Amino acid sequence: MASDIFNQLVDAHYTPLFRFALSLTKNSSDAGDLTQQTFFIWAKQGHALREAAKAKSWLFTTLYREFLRGRRRSERVTALEDLGPVEADPPAPEVDVVTGMDAGLVVEALQEVDEVYRAPLTLFYMQDLSYKEIADILEVPIGTVMSRLSRGKAQLRAALARKEAGQRGKVVPFQTPSARKLS
Amino acid sequence: MNNVEAKFILQGYRPDGSDAADATFSAALEQARVDPALGDWFAREQAFDRAMCAKLDQVRPPAGLREAILAGGRVTEPAGHRRAWWQHPALLAMAASVALLLGVGVAFWPKQADASAGLTEFALIDALHSETHGGHGDKTGELQAALSQPSTHLGGQLPVNFAELRNAGCRTVRFNGHEVLEVCFKRDGAWFHCYIAQRADFPALVAAIAPSLVDRNGTSIASWEDSSLLYVVVSKTGRSALEKLL
Repeated sequence: MASDIFNQLVDAHYTPLFRFALSLTKNSSDAGDLTQQTFFIWAKQGHALREAAKAKSWLFTTLYREFLRGRRRSERVTALEDLGPVEADPPAPEVDVVTGMDAGLVVEALQEVDEVYRAPLTLFYMQDLSYKEIADILEVPIGTVMSRLSRGKAQLRAALARKEAGQRGKVVPFQTPSARKLS
Repeated sequence: MNNVEAKFILQGYRPDGSDAADATFSAALEQARVDPALGDWFAREQAFDRAMCAKLDQVRPPAGLREAILAGGRVTEPAGHRRAWWQHPALLAMAASVALLLGVGVAFWPKQADASAGLTEFALIDALHSETHGGHGDKTGELQAALSQPSTHLGGQLPVNFAELRNAGCRTVRFNGHEVLEVCFKRDGAWFHCYIAQRADFPALVAAIAPSLVDRNGTSIASWEDSSLLYVVVSKTGRSALEKLL
C-alpha cells in the first residue's frame, strides 16, 4: 500500500516537477537529480504528510528549497529585484513565432530569464498552480508573485525575440558536389 | 482601476481558465470586456501564454527517470525508528487498511460500487491517522455535540448543513476532486470519525440505505445515505462500540 501511494505520487507529479527543475537548473541531468532528490526526501519524511491534497505543494516547495540549498546564492539575484519599473508593453514576438519554435528553443529562452522571475513564471506556465499557491511555494507575498510574473514575461519576450532573430540569421550551408570540391 | 493596474492583475490569469472563479480577477476581467484596447491586449496576452504553456507541456523527463525515482523510493527507509519493515506502524496501519478493505469489498459486493469502496478506503486511511485531524470550526461543535449524545442514532439523516459546515471551517478532505467533511466525535470515551459527502458529487456511489457495518482487526466501519448525503463512520474501538451508535 505504501509502495502504491508512492507510485501514484510519482506518476502524478514527476513530470511537472522535472519541468520546474529544468527551468531552474538549466540542465536536464541536474533537473533529473533534483527531481529524484525531492522524492527521496518524500520517502524519508513526506510520509508524515497525511493530506494528499497538500502533497503537490509540498513537493514543489521541497524541490525549490533543495535547489536554493544546493547552489550558492549569487548577489546578482538580489540586485535584480531592485530594477526599475517594468517596461510598458515590451515588444512581444507574435504568437505564431512561439508556436513555430521548437519546444527546446522556447525552454532555452525561458532559462535565460533571471532565476528570481523564472521560478514563478515556470510554475505559472505549468498551469497546475494558482498564483496564491505559487506564493506559498516560493514563500513570497502574492503581490511579489504578480510583480515577478510581469518582469519575467518581459524578460521572456526579449529572450524569445533574440532566439527568433538568431534563427533568422542562421546560415544554412548549401552543399553541392561542386561546393564540396572547392572546400 | 486603470488599465495599467488591470494589466498587472490580468497577466497572472492562467489561460486555461483555472482562475475564472477567483474574485481577484473579476474587476479586471470586466474591464477587459468593456474596454476594447484592454480587451485586445488581454486576448494577445492569453494567446501568448497559451502558446508558452503548450511548449512547456512538450517537455518530457528523460527516459528512466521515473524508474530511478521508484527504485530509490523502494530502498529508502523513512526517518525515525529503525525497525523491520513489518514492525513499522505506518506499514502495519496500511496492511490493516488493506485487510479491512478486502473485508469491506467482500461484504459490500455486489451491492456497492467500486467508487464507494474507494471512499471507504479513503476514510479508513484518513481515520487511521486521526492525530492529524483538527480545525473543525465553530459550527462543527454543534454537530459534534449532537453526535456525542447517546440519544442521537446514526444510520439515518443527521443534522448536517454541508455548505454551512464547510464555510465555517469544518475539516474537509478531498476525494476524487470533491470535498468531504470529516467530524471527530466522542461517545462513551471512544473516538469516532464521521465522513460526510454530498451525493450529487458522487453520483456513481451506491451506498446501502440501511447501515452497512463491517469490522476487521478491531476497526469497524458503517456507511449509509440519506436523500442528499453519504455517511461513513469509522471506529477504531471495534464493532460493538459502533453498533451502539446505530
